[in-house]
Amino acid sequence: MPTPRLVAVLTVLLVLLTSCTAQESQTLGPPLPDTNATEVIALLETSTQPVVINVWASWCIPCRSEAPLLERAHAQFGDDIRFIGINVADTQSAARQFIAEFGLSFENLFDAPRTVPAALGGSGVPLTFFFAPGGELVHYQPGVIDERTLALQIDELLRRRATS
Amino acid sequence: MEFTLLWAAATGIGMAVVMANIEKRWNLIAAETAGVSDLILAAAVTGLVTGRLAAMIMAGTNPITHPGDILVVRSGVDTGFASLGALAFVSLSSRRQLAGTIDALGPAAMAGLAGWHAGCLYRRACLGAASSWPWAIAQDGSNVTRHPVEIYAALLFLAAAPVLLWWLRRGVRSTGAVGATALVLAGAIRLVTEPLRPSLGSGPVGWYLTAIAIGLAGILIARVRRARPALQ
Repeated sequence: MPTPRLVAVLTVLLVLLTSCTAQESQTLGPPLPDTNATEVIALLETSTQPVVINVWASWCIPCRSEAPLLERAHAQFGDDIRFIGINVADTQSAARQFIAEFGLSFENLFDAPRTVPAALGGSGVPLTFFFAPGGELVHYQPGVIDERTLALQIDELLRRRATS
Repeated sequence: MEFTLLWAAATGIGMAVVMANIEKRWNLIAAETAGVSDLILAAAVTGLVTGRLAAMIMAGTNPITHPGDILVVRSGVDTGFASLGALAFVSLSSRRQLAGTIDALGPAAMAGLAGWHAGCLYRRACLGAASSWPWAIAQDGSNVTRHPVEIYAALLFLAAAPVLLWWLRRGVRSTGAVGATALVLAGAIRLVTEPLRPSLGSGPVGWYLTAIAIGLAGILIARVRRARPALQ
């Protein structure tokens, strides 16, 4: 293989060129409302819509890949499914920065002491929970969620609602 | 820590290497491309890195300011750019005998893709669109039965691999045609199974069509080169 140097140079050039994006000024939104496990469980039990809960933190690397997917899903299915982000183990300013960076338009709540994921039966970040109306847990995705899984579980929620 | 994605990738690469060894044992690989197993591994790693960088950039994450993110492969790898990266690596590293090399890689690539898709069994990610067909499967706790779409894809790739192997064994008159056909098959198999995959959009259909177009162009070039050997 006579060209490893060439491949290395091309890879570095590709990374440098594609990384040279203009710095956009981001306007931070309002502080995230505080929440806790009791509030979230009550919300799920009284919800007449399916609910997708994503537990995230601004320092979590996989959360960065999930954020655009969740935003797309919210834009597509937001009328039928309630999307809620729960920010844990984080600071308000970092969380708001993250939301502004990815332009997240679904509701996000602040749970610094991580009471919500523990109450829902998960730990760590990211986590994604899919609930039927009334709070029945349909699917729990520990770790990063990909587009296929997200789309499949959303389809599952919508089909369950249609047949119930 | 979950390693299911790694197991799926290892299954794919392992099946590709096994097929390459079968080709080698049957003397279907030219002496100058004898290192085809190493080439598969190096191309897979190059594709993985390229696809990961592309996925990061498209998600708005700068690889220079977040270099650690590159290692978090589970956060997403763009399949189209990964394929381009792997193909570019193969083209650059074997440009003097490119046509023969891609022929040798054809059956191995089909076997590798079969292994990768069958890896859905580790990841519990085989299911797709809802279906009432007799073999449709429901996920745990659900009564909605679905097409095991990734198993369909695995079986189609598994069927394609021995066909290309047989072609190689019979003798390739237009050098490069087997590899180009493998590219057409890869795009076509993904394209026909795509409507059964859950997606938030239309899926990477453009990439599949591009693969088919490049493969068809490759077949045409192989035939022209055979007809006009002076061009070689």
